[in-house]
Amino acid sequence: MPLVRASPESPPEPTPSAFAVRSQGASAIVVGAVAAGAVLILVTLGKADAAAGLLTAAVLVAVGAVLNLRALYRGAARQATPTDAVASPAPTDPGDVQTYVSALELAPNPILVVSAEEADDLAGRRIAFANASARELLRVAREGALLVAAMRNPNVLEAIDESLFGGIDRVVTYEAGGPQNRFWRVRTNPLPGTPARPRLALVIMEDETDIRINERMRADFLANASHELRTPLASLTGFIETLRGHAKDDETARDRFLAIMGRQAERMARLIEDLMSLSRIELSEHIRPSGICDLTVAVADVADALAPQLAAKGVTFEFGLPAKGAAWVAGDRDQLIQVVQNLLDNAIKYSPVGGAVKVDVDIDLTLDAAAVFRPDARRLSAPDGGRMSLQTPTWSADVRYAILRVADVGPGLARETLPRLTERFYRVEGQKSGERSGTGLGLAIVKHIVNRHRGGFLVESAPGQGAVFCVYFPMTQSPGGSQPGPKNDRNTPLTEPSVREEIKLS
Amino acid sequence: MRARIAPEFIFDMSMNEHTLKFFGEELNQLKAEVARMGGLAEAQVADAIAAVSERDVALAESVVGRDRRLDLLQHDIERKSIRLIALRQPVAQDLRRTVGAMKMASILERTGDYAKNIAKRALVISEGEPITPLTRAIERMGKLVAARLKDALDSYTSAELDQAMNVWQNDEEVDEHYNSLFRELLTYMISDPRMINSCAHMLFVAKNLERIGDYATNIAEIVHYEVTGEEIMGDRPKWGGAAREDAADPDLEA
Repeated sequence: MPLVRASPESPPEPTPSAFAVRSQGASAIVVGAVAAGAVLILVTLGKADAAAGLLTAAVLVAVGAVLNLRALYRGAARQATPTDAVASPAPTDPGDVQTYVSALELAPNPILVVSAEEADDLAGRRIAFANASARELLRVAREGALLVAAMRNPNVLEAIDESLFGGIDRVVTYEAGGPQNRFWRVRTNPLPGTPARPRLALVIMEDETDIRINERMRADFLANASHELRTPLASLTGFIETLRGHAKDDETARDRFLAIMGRQAERMARLIEDLMSLSRIELSEHIRPSGICDLTVAVADVADALAPQLAAKGVTFEFGLPAKGAAWVAGDRDQLIQVVQNLLDNAIKYSPVGGAVKVDVDIDLTLDAAAVFRPDARRLSAPDGGRMSLQTPTWSADVRYAILRVADVGPGLARETLPRLTERFYRVEGQKSGERSGTGLGLAIVKHIVNRHRGGFLVESAPGQGAVFCVYFPMTQSPGGSQPGPKNDRNTPLTEPSVREEIKLS
Repeated sequence: MRARIAPEFIFDMSMNEHTLKFFGEELNQLKAEVARMGGLAEAQVADAIAAVSERDVALAESVVGRDRRLDLLQHDIERKSIRLIALRQPVAQDLRRTVGAMKMASILERTGDYAKNIAKRALVISEGEPITPLTRAIERMGKLVAARLKDALDSYTSAELDQAMNVWQNDEEVDEHYNSLFRELLTYMISDPRMINSCAHMLFVAKNLERIGDYATNIAEIVHYEVTGEEIMGDRPKWGGAAREDAADPDLEA
């Protein structure tokens, strides 16, 4: 958790008036400090319910203190603080109050203080204070934004209105929508007004995503698992019966059956593993990953591990990778490896014997550039071919992406199947993925990992012309903190020599 | 595709201090009301989709009941816009913002109508046998459309040109979902005639969602016009190229 600087600029010299009033404010301040501290501890411990009541109390005191502090800064110091505001007659110690501002800033829950004018004046409802968490979530400034610019949900707006104008506490829930869907419980409470801002309300948001996702996933997991495990299980039971019965003493049949049973058991194990992995990813999907990972290295590692499969099928990889240290992306290394693994695995599976799989990585692309990365006119103009996005990140300025493109020369996919590729257990009709049949979860896993990383996922294909899968992830600084490798300005080719190699293993 | 900033816009920036303080407040008020109406329309769409996927009759009925609020808001915003034009005679960006608010209000009202229509069909669909794979597909498409609407409205409240352009360019995904769903529905209807009633209604639900997706694109166009003073020129990029016309495209209006 980032530490907020206790005082952004050097605190103003306390003037005589500040000294005179300090003792009056002191007791209120102490109460506020204790309560705010207790809340932070409770909230961090995750005891949301117990914390909620106390939190409200603490915020009430702290907010009062914040508003008073600002008045003091204005009165006592020459220049007002950058976030200047309310005139209030009860000044307090600026140092202490700054602590409460920090306490509010540090609170993990998004917290807003909303001020209002008249009930019918929508533009009068403004954000008087938004803490760090709220600013990040709602993309608003610390102070002064229109309330509706931050929050449009009608139920929440109604609850805020009831606190502002009816003096009522309300609790509502709402779903934020968007790719990383989050569920929020929103508490609104009336706050005592100040002379300059007679109507104030406090809005505290609690993240309920974990609970909701858990509920839904338990149901999904059971449904999926029981449905998909039934087939291999039925086959196992069948063979066991046969082995107990008339094939009891037939040695050749027994060996053959045991081999099939072994494969079915493996399939069940893979299924369970993939289902568990998907559940884990879904649980953390709304939490941004913290690590960083070099996409080039990840690709090289996975390619090495796949050597036996390549050799078995006589498939070759053709690489077009930037130099090591050029493609740093923000992400969980294990999960990124899993994405690369699933994509390369698929490409090998669907490649004909002796086919070549093209694996390219490119860097420093804008979102627009990533979305139209190296289209193939032949596939796009084919009668039943096309390209579409399976996952598009929310637009955000200044993010550059590193893209991985995996192209095979397999049977390809018809246009109408493309949107369904990331569905669980979706299988393209009439297509066999070969001996080592997949679980039908590979691309679903890719999609969820990509979504968690705020990346994108594209497919381009035409029947008989192979398939191309692209994933792109937001880039980040290299661990040294220096320039993330060679800059590639879309129009100019890579200045550094890129690694172009071909591995022949057959 | 980044839009050029019109000279008129630069002129605007220097005029930003309104001679009449009230005028700026009235414009803010208008924008706030459009944003609130947008939030309501968003909630209507989300609830309508949930009513279909969860077979929730009570939710569907409440969506139908709430539609009137959108109608009232639209009239209110139109009245205020006209009043503002008549009394203040805004020019340049102020005029575009006022006209934009009127256009937004009518788009959001129509979005609400489609949501209401989806909710009505949800009532019929929930009477039939559940067809889980189809309702899941509807839900997926619905989430996609709702996310686009959210992005479009976000770009309206923040006046973010790049975000608006992003919404404008990426409507292909919704169309693809619609086409895929269309084929799937046909397959179901052919294989089991008892499904025809539910499937026909789902077809309209999908069509309505597709229209709502188009409205999100229109909102992005309004944002572009409001900020730059220029209309977006040219066609939206279509990845599908020739394939699009050849495919059995059920969208005859396109």
